[in-house]
Amino acid sequence: MEVNGTLIWYYNICKREVWLMSRNIVPDQHNENIDLGKFLHENSFSRKKKEISFGSVKFDVILDTKDKLVIGETKKSSKYEAASKWQMMFYLKTLKDAGINAEGVMLYPEEKRRDEVLLDDTSIQTLNNMILDINSIIEKEEPPKAEKCKYCKNCGYLEYCYA
Amino acid sequence: MKKDIYIFNGGKLVRKDNTLLFESVEGKKYIPVNNVESIYIFGEVDINKSLLEFLCTNEIVLHFYNYYEYYIGSFYPRECLNSGFVTLRQSEFYIDYNKRLFIAKQFIDGSVKNIIQVLRYYNSRSADLSQEIEEILQMLDSLSSQETIEQAMAIEGNIREKYYKCFNKIINDKAFTFTSRTKRPPKDKINSLISFGNSMLYTIVLSQIYQTNLDPRIGYLHTTNNRRFSLNLDLAEIFKPIIVDRTIFSVINKKIITAKDFNKDLGGIILKDEGRMKFVKEFNDKLETTIKHPSLENKVSYKRLIRLEAYKLQKHITEGEVYEPFIARW
Repeated sequence: MEVNGTLIWYYNICKREVWLMSRNIVPDQHNENIDLGKFLHENSFSRKKKEISFGSVKFDVILDTKDKLVIGETKKSSKYEAASKWQMMFYLKTLKDAGINAEGVMLYPEEKRRDEVLLDDTSIQTLNNMILDINSIIEKEEPPKAEKCKYCKNCGYLEYCYA
Repeated sequence: MKKDIYIFNGGKLVRKDNTLLFESVEGKKYIPVNNVESIYIFGEVDINKSLLEFLCTNEIVLHFYNYYEYYIGSFYPRECLNSGFVTLRQSEFYIDYNKRLFIAKQFIDGSVKNIIQVLRYYNSRSADLSQEIEEILQMLDSLSSQETIEQAMAIEGNIREKYYKCFNKIINDKAFTFTSRTKRPPKDKINSLISFGNSMLYTIVLSQIYQTNLDPRIGYLHTTNNRRFSLNLDLAEIFKPIIVDRTIFSVINKKIITAKDFNKDLGGIILKDEGRMKFVKEFNDKLETTIKHPSLENKVSYKRLIRLEAYKLQKHITEGEVYEPFIARW
């Protein structure tokens, strides 16, 4: 299975989620957080071009193409800041591998906040290790056991994991 | 949590703009589509394809009931949660007889333990049931040594027969004396309530399975996998005593439903419309009752417990987490 941005995101939140997602075992679709996320995705930046596919990555918006390429990714909140940043790094790396140098911006419309993301050599190395580890999780017969963490409370898998 | 909608009147159910509208002689009633989990239709209701398409997009299951045969069938929208991996595993656990036998026995075990809980409750109140409880516990002991699903089911059948006899001690209305279990058509009032309650539960469970990756066509206890759905019948076994039977005892003992709510028709006894409405109301109240869940921090409703049960089964077949049925603790 090809690693994509979403898996990178999940990897940085919960490794069990990576395995479940890889088997298309999706979270409770009527979870209110998931509903809200879908709504924000569909209703933010409606005037800009969105969901641009490039190879295996799919990002939300292209913000600037005049001087340099800037891509944006919308998130509901900055609570998952680190995970979101790595997702963006992965996009930038994919573009870089194709010979395109780009910069990224994380967008948190609800918080009216934007964070710039730049790709450097250390982060490329970290990403490569993540990709290897994701593949080894997916190859396993069974998912990693559920471990209670601060993200569990609002997770759409909560009931699935702890039923 | 989303709600179940029950329609008893005749009329027309349509898609109106981006929501649902029910039109009847009594007027127009809008039903916010985002708030609906399943729809239960008892009345003579006209529907069209545009409505079905709309329900499909919104992942709403539609269940139909008719006057004489009770449950007719369901409009089960195309699966929204597909996982080839889970389907393959589910089949594997069916084909491997030992794996299947284990799950089937767990369903029976859960069902019988919940029966005992119900009996213990009434034993501590009005009825003397200690003898029956003892006998059922002894019968349950032999379950683990059974080598086929048929043998296990036979034990369950014997237990259930003994259990149904207890109904006469629990129910304090002579009009509802239980003699033997009769179906299609039920021959007395109590059988009529059991049949109706069970068929309601089957559809509730089906709607919950729809929200998981499990395929309702592959069941483990009920051998007839040729029928459309069977996994919902399996999971329902666990909840029949604590949801259906308890609702029956309370509608009779509280005199919410009395002999006047029944019609004798075509050789069978069936609930009148009004009786049906009263039963469904109590049944739905029961489903929405919340209890404290041991491993989840929140309180969960009985309806949610059914979903959690489906999740547990799914994890049993995909993660090797041994499936333990839900046992009521009071």
